[in-house]
Amino acid sequence: MFNRTKNLQLSIIKQIELRAAQYPDVISLAQGVPNFDTPECIKRRVELALNRGVVAKYSLCPGLPELRELIEISLARENMFYDWQKEIIVTAGSIEGITAALLAITEPGDEVIIPEPTYTSYREVIYLAGCKPIFVSLDEKNNWAFDLEKFKQAITDKTKAIFYCNPNNPTGTIYTKKQLLGLAELAEQHNLYLISDEVYKDFVFNTNGHECETNSRESRIFSLAELPKLRKRVIRLFSFSKAYAMTGWRVGYLHSDESVAREILKVHDSLVTCAPVISQYAAMGALEMGDGNVKKFNQEYKKRRDLICSRLDRLSNVFNYIKPDGAYYVFPALTPGPSPARALRERGAMDSSLSWKFALDLLDKIQVAVVPGIAFGPNGEGHVRMSFGRSESDIERAFERMEKLFNQCQMPKSKYQINIK
Amino acid sequence: MKKVFKLLLKYYLKYITKFVLLIHRPTIIAIAGSTNKTFVKEEVCRVLRALEKNVRANPRSFNTEIGLPLAILYLPSGYNSYKNWLPIIFKSFLAIFQRDFPQYLVLELGVSEPGDMKYLLSIIKPRLAIITDITQRYLESFSDMDRLVGEYERLVKKVKKNGLVALNYDNIRIRNLAKVAKAPVEFFGLQNGAHWQAVKINSSAILRGKGRSSHYNFSEGGEEQGQTIKVSHNNIVKKYKIKYFGKHHIYSLLIGLIIKNYVTKHGKNN
Repeated sequence: MFNRTKNLQLSIIKQIELRAAQYPDVISLAQGVPNFDTPECIKRRVELALNRGVVAKYSLCPGLPELRELIEISLARENMFYDWQKEIIVTAGSIEGITAALLAITEPGDEVIIPEPTYTSYREVIYLAGCKPIFVSLDEKNNWAFDLEKFKQAITDKTKAIFYCNPNNPTGTIYTKKQLLGLAELAEQHNLYLISDEVYKDFVFNTNGHECETNSRESRIFSLAELPKLRKRVIRLFSFSKAYAMTGWRVGYLHSDESVAREILKVHDSLVTCAPVISQYAAMGALEMGDGNVKKFNQEYKKRRDLICSRLDRLSNVFNYIKPDGAYYVFPALTPGPSPARALRERGAMDSSLSWKFALDLLDKIQVAVVPGIAFGPNGEGHVRMSFGRSESDIERAFERMEKLFNQCQMPKSKYQINIK
Repeated sequence: MKKVFKLLLKYYLKYITKFVLLIHRPTIIAIAGSTNKTFVKEEVCRVLRALEKNVRANPRSFNTEIGLPLAILYLPSGYNSYKNWLPIIFKSFLAIFQRDFPQYLVLELGVSEPGDMKYLLSIIKPRLAIITDITQRYLESFSDMDRLVGEYERLVKKVKKNGLVALNYDNIRIRNLAKVAKAPVEFFGLQNGAHWQAVKINSSAILRGKGRSSHYNFSEGGEEQGQTIKVSHNNIVKKYKIKYFGKHHIYSLLIGLIIKNYVTKHGKNN
């Protein structure tokens, strides 16, 4: 019974959110949800479609032609050339695209390499496809970069794909062109697919030290999907959720060479028939008129990134972090050595996951929700993820509570007793 | 209130645009069809600029009753904000006195409701018209396909004898529109019978060596993947290479060649 689902878990992020919902005054830095509402121009586009009575029926399985055409145009601006008729599929969020892609390209028993720490739900989808996730740790000392030697060692004759997120969730790392080309070379040598989840591509803060190129926006990341010779190997995913504050609309897209997209389309059809049509119209509004909002969000996140980093600096005896270059997360390590964090960690040491205990303790004591690093893979242990997708006031309030707690922790034990459940 | 403002704005923009066109008299190239208008527009602009013509086109897809005048006047949209519209309304008046008004306007015409084409053609008089394709897209607003095709028929009829109509030969309904054209018709397509026919396509070619590089940018050096196309016109076959994938880009290429041919022949009069 339940053979397919027995290895699956409800994502730890969702578990934390469920627990957090039990507290009336919780401040959540856990879920990766932008605090902005969907921009007005997108809502108006949807209103227009509703009034015209065009949202009640299925669209074509790969999506509305006018949306796919817009996607092709937007990809071309980023130096990616894909035929909207045969190579672009509109999906119900990127996770449906990931599921369809994995089910299409793998067979049960295959291995899929994931550099970690990375997004928590990848693991579950890989299990769902009957495959095995192989974690390859990122190099924290080198700004969470790929260590190609580790990838080489992880490849076996069962390996089917390498699956990464760029910019990476939760570390906010932007992989350099050189690192990505190294990965591509490995994929060529071992005949592997490369699945590139680029849902945070619009949120890029630093280009120094990276080979980011400029276009109409401040900067953009390099994608392996830009290289025509890799088009049969690369499956690239994007979601409107983060860039346009549309997490609830569940719409995204994927693209690959016709020979690959054709197979993914069969799975997409059996999973969802088509992405929600009303959301496809919202996506059209986003591509037609949403650029200004993305730029505004990006600037806002940069301010919040700087704010959260300055607050982390004030807790340097607790957290040790690498400043994120992209996405809207920071992934601080719990400082080793005698510190309040250490005190919390030691009390959790009996459990296999320290970060899980630490996150629960923060939630129980001060009603601040963060995601334990273990959610993002074994190498994430000893860290927590904080989202600065939340408002500045939420960030400030959360850190005020943390500062108060950690100051109390430094007091003699007799006056303050931490209770770990 | 919103509806009244929109109506007033619509007619204000219409008449100011007509007046601007009357003063500056640019050559208008109209691009209509259910799909592929944007890529065709980009290719036509590229061809004209290569011929050193001064060109303006719709930014993004400003191709409706409000968007088209804004495209001609080269103004942004105020979208849903009264405040944003005020400076735009003022600037639209200044377009009358614009000094370097372009020789060519390349305009997408969007049709999603019955009567849309009639309204757009009450603003502009195209010298050249291109119909890219007609599919079932937007059909939900029309009682049947004939009504939808009827919108495009208006455009074909509107072009005078000294103009040109470029039609997609591969679509039988579009092909039949030639019957109502006053202007000469050039057919483009993949099928035998098209005046500009793509006769041999390699859709996953390695682009290197000789061949006319049309369309879009190629990165310098190295090799690129893309499409190579042999185009037959008047029994002469030439080979082209393009970086984009998909049949619709082959149509864009053919349309670009038609426009280049027309403007080269009639350039002095335009």
